[in-house]
Amino acid sequence: MNKFLLAFFTVSALLITGCTTTNANTGYYWGNYSGTLYSLKTSPGKNSLDKHIEELQSIIDYSNKKGIRVPPGVHAELGYRLAQTNRNSDAKAELNKEIITYPESRPFIERVTIFLGLEGIYE
Amino acid sequence: MNKLILASAALIFFAGCASNQWQTKIEAFPAMYDDRQPITIVVVPAINKTTAASASNYFNVTITEPVANQGYYPIPVEIVRDIFLKEGIVDSQMIKGMPTSIFNKNFGADAVLFVTIQKWDTSYAVIAANVSVGMEYVLISTTTNEILWKYSATIVVDTSAQSSGFILADIISTAITTATTDYVPIAKNVNAQAFIALPHGKYSKQHRTDMDENVVYKVLKDAAVD
Repeated sequence: MNKFLLAFFTVSALLITGCTTTNANTGYYWGNYSGTLYSLKTSPGKNSLDKHIEELQSIIDYSNKKGIRVPPGVHAELGYRLAQTNRNSDAKAELNKEIITYPESRPFIERVTIFLGLEGIYE
Repeated sequence: MNKLILASAALIFFAGCASNQWQTKIEAFPAMYDDRQPITIVVVPAINKTTAASASNYFNVTITEPVANQGYYPIPVEIVRDIFLKEGIVDSQMIKGMPTSIFNKNFGADAVLFVTIQKWDTSYAVIAANVSVGMEYVLISTTTNEILWKYSATIVVDTSAQSSGFILADIISTAITTATTDYVPIAKNVNAQAFIALPHGKYSKQHRTDMDENVVYKVLKDAAVD
């Protein structure tokens, strides 16, 4: 069978099941991450920001419930978004959780902490 | 006419089957199978070479998942964008001119992924329409500056409406279907196509088991320009 067709059908089949399942390679659950992020980018405001924050929290809750690792950057992004709504100590907590889950994120998290002005915040 | 189409199709098919058109992942991207393989990747916001301004959004919101699912640690695109904006870097083209070691220093990144949207076309032919999306991906090491991986992917989606038998209704219907086509799944599909050729990273179950997959189409690899 033509390799392109095979690749296309495989990819399409994988994408159709995307939203509700965990990824086969890594076990990550993403929920509707790209959907709420897209809404946030195209219609920025409190409403879309709250919805995206809810989605990030729901991904974390589901992952914890199922005993799977939270996907890369989700704790970090939640922390970032919480800081945008001035929930600074919650934000700091989430940023720290990112380092615990992915130690290689430390330089990035330190950078973001400075960027957000959260150095002096203790959770 | 039909015979001509069949003959051309046969030629393309046989050309595609020739073994020198394909490479295994390790043949094409040897740096990804030794200690040069990255873990942390900074994904730079897409460089958009099309006239469709919204194309960048579709890419930027759909790229993190597949990079992570392939076993890497992608740094959230949006945060990178905001940090760059504050530094006065508004354009990913500007970022391309900077030394990649900056990404290692600022974000602890092992590699930078540049993506260029080359095509985002809606083309009409009265009652037939399709959307063509094409992207190029280049992954560069922040320590050695070498290209670790590169690939391109294009898809064409038919957005023509089902014929109603009434020409005017069909024209309007096609225009509406094309205008409201959900581009997020299309962007996801293009990323997924390209990543078929991406070696699996540390967090993937398939890490270091995929080197002999003969899935790298040379034409697509060569089309991605630094």
